[in-house]
Amino acid sequence: MMKKIILLTALSISALFAQVKSSVEVPYIPFEIKMGKGFSTVQADCLMCHSFGYIINQGPQSRKFWRGKVDKMIEEFKAPIDKKDAKIIENYLFENYGNGKEQ
Amino acid sequence: MKRRDFFKTSIAASAAVLSSTSLAAGETHQPNETRKVSKYAFPEKRPLITYSDRPPLLETPLSVFTEEFTPNDQFFVRWHLPDIPTHIDPDTYTIHINGMVQRELKISLKDLKNDFEQVEVNAVVQCGGNSRSAFTPIPGGIQWGSGAMGCARWKGVRLKDILDKAGLIEGAKWIGFNGREKAAYYKTPNFVRELELDELDDHVIVAYEMNGEDLPYLNGYPLRLVLPGYYSDSWVKMLSNITVTDKYKSLFFMDKAYRVPDNECECETPEKLAKKTKPITIMNVKSVIGYPENGAKIYHNSEVVVRGVAWDGGYGIHKVMISLDDGKTWDEAQLKEDLGRYAYRSFRFGFKPKKYGKLHIMAKAVNSLGEEQPFSKDIGWNRGGYKYNGIQVVNVEVV
Repeated sequence: MMKKIILLTALSISALFAQVKSSVEVPYIPFEIKMGKGFSTVQADCLMCHSFGYIINQGPQSRKFWRGKVDKMIEEFKAPIDKKDAKIIENYLFENYGNGKEQ
Repeated sequence: MKRRDFFKTSIAASAAVLSSTSLAAGETHQPNETRKVSKYAFPEKRPLITYSDRPPLLETPLSVFTEEFTPNDQFFVRWHLPDIPTHIDPDTYTIHINGMVQRELKISLKDLKNDFEQVEVNAVVQCGGNSRSAFTPIPGGIQWGSGAMGCARWKGVRLKDILDKAGLIEGAKWIGFNGREKAAYYKTPNFVRELELDELDDHVIVAYEMNGEDLPYLNGYPLRLVLPGYYSDSWVKMLSNITVTDKYKSLFFMDKAYRVPDNECECETPEKLAKKTKPITIMNVKSVIGYPENGAKIYHNSEVVVRGVAWDGGYGIHKVMISLDDGKTWDEAQLKEDLGRYAYRSFRFGFKPKKYGKLHIMAKAVNSLGEEQPFSKDIGWNRGGYKYNGIQVVNVEVV
């Protein structure tokens, strides 16, 4: 009887950690994002590195804030976003996730 | 790109921030604790408050913080870069020690567990931006409630023992820590942390176990740095490299992120940002109430037990005070067992509500240096929304 219990425990431990030995899958979360002018650019340029959750959970922000974020992605994180796209993304973010303030 | 159909669905994510604020600009308030857990569970986790799936950002519900240890399957998650290896082979995983050392080392998990003294430490790990949603105007960054933290019993090997084995060369001053998370673009800076050798003591360990189990994948399997007393930005996950240098190397995540104004109040205004900043490093004194929760109804004249946890950067909790009259008078809560100066100290406070209607329950921790939590409104703003430690107010109704 004792042997059996030990065996069961051993089995349950290997089962618990088996998933890190094989590949794990992080679920995809369908964050609700607003449709709007420039959305397809946001989709193409932002999603490479992060989810929409990362955008919508920053809170409503000023144009200056969103411009700063886009600049940070380009300058610090080296995202290949050209000037035209950067402006489109900034406008989309401010129109949909702005606080109405320019500064 | 695999994620083609994301915009077709209209399932509300659990953590969208609503744009409403009637608060005066600049006044710090209670963090937003109204968010519910997602219906999606991440690997080895129960459903948690979910801000992002890539990189994964998960918050622990406040109700979990009534005990000293936070269960692994409810422990918060915060990564910085989108590409986390989805497969780790524990039989071949090694950690490299290089730079200004006499012997470069490649240590396997097995060697780490066999060739070194195994040690344990109870320690809180908390995101520097925990409770960021308390600040107005809203600082950039994830608008966390107060659950971007947890306390665990970590098991591993002293960093000092590993460095001793490698042998430091004279002049060695800085240590860089790098994990396996990667960016989408080659040119994006890695999430590397640097610490000065002077900052490290015997409590700093390279851990492979958390609360008696292997580290969960999302908490840095198979190895992470454990830096008791420090905010979690330096607790590098999936640790792969330790590099010793004589000079500080300029890095984005060190020089631009996780910094507060270098003045006494660590505060500034959006109009006049502080010129000089410093890393967030050591945690300040803080407590949260896990029970009751905001909006709860409690019975008149019933036995209510307020439960929560308190901690600081390693000086130790001296007492936790509870107020039921908006801070006019305070009574001492009962502290449970001391599990070490870096761990949560859980507290209990029993009382019988005598008046019907709204009741505000507050908790204030005081550490062994006499430092205590301020009221929210007395906490100055900083651009990163870091280090909030205001007195929590739980609003309940006596019925």
